[in-house]
Amino acid sequence: MAETIVINPVTRINGFMEIVAEIGKNTVTDARTKGMMFRGFEKMLTGRGPLDAVYFTQRICGICSTAHSMAASLALEEALGIVPSEQGRYLRDLLHACEFLQNHLRHLYQYTLPDYVKLPEGYPLFKTDHNDYRLPAEVNERMVNDYFESLEYSKNAHKMLAILGGKAPHNHGVFIGGITSPITVDMIIAIKSILFGIEKFITEKMLPDVYEIAAYYSEYYHFGGGYGNLLTYGCFQHYKELGTLYVDPYIYTNEQYSHFDPDLITQSDEYAWFNEANDPDREKPEAYSWIRAPRYNGVPFEVGPLARQWLSGEYRHGISVMDRTIARVLEAKKITQIMNTLLENLIPGVTMQQEYEVPTQAYGRGLIDTTRGALGHWLSIEDKKILFYQIITPSAWNLSTQTGEKKGTAEQALMGAPVKDQNMPVEIGRIIRSFDPCVSCATHVVIPGKMDKIIQVV
Amino acid sequence: MERKHALCPFQELKWKETTQLVSRAMEEIENSKRSKPNLVWLELNGCTGNTISMMDGQDPDFQYLLTQMTNFIYSNSLLAAQGAQAMDQLFDIIGDEYILAVEGAVSRKDNGLYHIIGRHEGREITGLEAAIRLGERATHIISVGDCASYGGVSAARPNPADCTGISDVVNRKVIKLTGCPCHPDWFMGTVAYLILYGEPPLDDTDRPLMFYGITIHDRCPRRSYYDSGIFATKLGEETCMFMLGCRGPVTQIDCPIRKWNGHVNWPIGDDTPCIGCAQFGFPDAMEPFITYDTMRKE
Repeated sequence: MAETIVINPVTRINGFMEIVAEIGKNTVTDARTKGMMFRGFEKMLTGRGPLDAVYFTQRICGICSTAHSMAASLALEEALGIVPSEQGRYLRDLLHACEFLQNHLRHLYQYTLPDYVKLPEGYPLFKTDHNDYRLPAEVNERMVNDYFESLEYSKNAHKMLAILGGKAPHNHGVFIGGITSPITVDMIIAIKSILFGIEKFITEKMLPDVYEIAAYYSEYYHFGGGYGNLLTYGCFQHYKELGTLYVDPYIYTNEQYSHFDPDLITQSDEYAWFNEANDPDREKPEAYSWIRAPRYNGVPFEVGPLARQWLSGEYRHGISVMDRTIARVLEAKKITQIMNTLLENLIPGVTMQQEYEVPTQAYGRGLIDTTRGALGHWLSIEDKKILFYQIITPSAWNLSTQTGEKKGTAEQALMGAPVKDQNMPVEIGRIIRSFDPCVSCATHVVIPGKMDKIIQVV
Repeated sequence: MERKHALCPFQELKWKETTQLVSRAMEEIENSKRSKPNLVWLELNGCTGNTISMMDGQDPDFQYLLTQMTNFIYSNSLLAAQGAQAMDQLFDIIGDEYILAVEGAVSRKDNGLYHIIGRHEGREITGLEAAIRLGERATHIISVGDCASYGGVSAARPNPADCTGISDVVNRKVIKLTGCPCHPDWFMGTVAYLILYGEPPLDDTDRPLMFYGITIHDRCPRRSYYDSGIFATKLGEETCMFMLGCRGPVTQIDCPIRKWNGHVNWPIGDDTPCIGCAQFGFPDAMEPFITYDTMRKE
C-alpha cells in the first residue's frame, strides 16, 4: 500500500522546500518538489534605474549573488551596446570563478557531507535523524576534520572575490565592461597565493573524500538520474585568444548532442501559485509550488556541474546522484585550472570603466552558466527605466513544477528511487541535495507586458 | 593582504574590538563564570546571505561560533536533521533560555503563507508564526541584516510579499544589525557583548553604537578628495565618488576601518560608491545606486 512521506523543511539547501513522495514497495512512485518562499523580484525591479539591477538582483541569493551580477551585467551590455574588453572579461570571469569555489566547497562539506558522514553529536546542529552511516570510524573522523577545515578554504574563496569585488556576499566589482577596479600586481599575487591553498585542499582532501564516499555508497550511481536531459548556456568560453576554457552552449537529450538556441526557452505556471494575471495566488487549485516550469523545446532539462562536465566532455561516467556529486568536485578542480590560466593572462592597470548612458528604449538578454547551472536575465528599458525584468534561474530548471503529466527534473529524479525505511527516508534528501537547490533563487513571477516577445509563456 | 591604506593605532584598536570582546567572553566561559548561551538562528524570507557572511568570519571564525561560543541549536542551512525532527529541534528550545538571531524578513501577505519554514506536527509553520512564537520567548533578539531589521530588499517597493522586520511583529526590543549582508564581526561582537555585559549601548534605532556610531564619510580614506572638490566621473577612479551617488555621508557604519572578508577590501576600496546598505531605507531610499547624471548637469 502506498504511503505518503512529507519532508519539510529540506535542510542544508539554500531557501525553503517541501518534498511530498508516495512510496509503494519501498520505491518512490510519485514525487513533488515544492518551493515554499516568494518575494517577487521582477515586480520590485520594474521602474528602477537599469544600472541598479547589477547590485539589486544579487540580493536574490546570498550564496550565489555573483551569478546574478554576471547575468545582469551581460543583459545591460546588450541593452547599452557595450562590448567589454578581453581584460574586462578575464577579470569578471575570474571573480565569478571565486564564487564557484566558495559554493562547491560549502555544498560538498556543509550541505552534502552530513548525509553520509556522522558529525559529532555533542553539537545540537549535528543531531541526526537516520542511521545509514557506513564509513569506518577512522575515515569518518577524517571527514569530520575536513568538514571544519573546508570552512577555511570556502572563506578564502570569498576573500579572493572581495579582493576583486570589494566584498562578499553581494559584491561591487562585477559591472558593465568587466569589473570596476583595475587589477594590480599585489592583488594578482595575493589571489595566486590564496588559490594555491584552495587547489591543494581540493586535490588532497576534497577529491579523495568524494570518491571515498562514493565507494561506500555505490548504489547511488544507479538512481536519481531522471530524464538525462542536460543543458548549458556556456561559461569561461569564447575568448578571442584563449578560446573556450570550459564549456560552450550545448544541449544533450535522447543521447544526442546539439547546439543551444535561446529562442526555444519557454516557461509555464500551470502548477505554480500564480493566477492568470500572473499575480501570486496561494489559493490556486492544482498549484503546489512557487517555482514555475522552464522548458527547452517543451522538455524539462537538468542544469549544473554534471551538465557542464558532460557537455564539455570532461566527465561522462553516468547521470545519477553520485555522478552529480562527483561532477561538482571535479568542476571545482577544473575552475582552479581556469583561474590560473586567466591569472597568467592579466595585464595590470588596465581600466575598464566609462560613463554609461542609459538608452531611452532598449532590450537585453544575459545568459550564462553559474555555479548551479544556466541562469538567464531578460530586461527591457523604456524612458530610461526598467519596464520589464525576467529571471530564470538554474534551480527553476532543476526544481520546476510539472507541466501536464510531465514532471519537473528533480521530481523525475526521485521517481523509482528506493526508500529502505519509510521512517528514515534518507535517500530522498540525498537525491535532492545532489542538485544543490537554491529556492530563494528559484521563485519568480512574470510581469505581464512585453514578455511574450522575449520568452514565450505557455 | 592589507590593501592601500595603513591604519592608525586607534582605528586598529577599533576593528579588533570584536576579537577582544570575544576572547574575554571565552575566558569567562572557560573559567565557568558564564555559560555558553543557546543560539537559535531563524531564517525567514530572504537570501541566506547573512548565514554565508557569518561563515566568512575571521577572528572569531564560524567554527568558533559554532563549537566554542554558543550552543548552536538551529539553522535551516546547516542542520543535519530534516523534516519533522528539524522542526522539533527548533520548537523544543522554547522554555529554555536562548538568543534568537533572525535573518530574512517576516512575510505578512495572506497571513504569512508566502513563506513556510517547515511542517510541525503536520501543520505548515509560516515565518510569521515562528517569528512570534520564538521571538516572544527569547532572552534577546538580534536581527541580522536589513531584511530582519526592517524588511530590507525583501520589502522593496511594491513589497509583493508584504515583508517587514521582526520588530514589527513582536512586542519587544530587537537589537538591529543592519547591513546587506551583516558583517560577521558585528554579529559575533554583539553576541560576545551579550555574554559579558548584557545589552550593548544602542543608538536611537537600536543598533550597537560600537559598530554604527560614525558615518562612512567621517572616516573615509577619500575624504581629502571630497574636501578638495576632486570627484570621480566614472567607476574605477581613486578619488571621491560623491558625485556618482555615494551614500557614505548618510550611512553610519565602520566599513572604512573594518573592511570585509578578512579586512581585505570594501566597496569604496573597490572604486565604487557606498550604496547605503547598512542604513535604514535601503534599497528604495538609496537609489539610484550609481548615477552619472550629477556630473553631466554641471
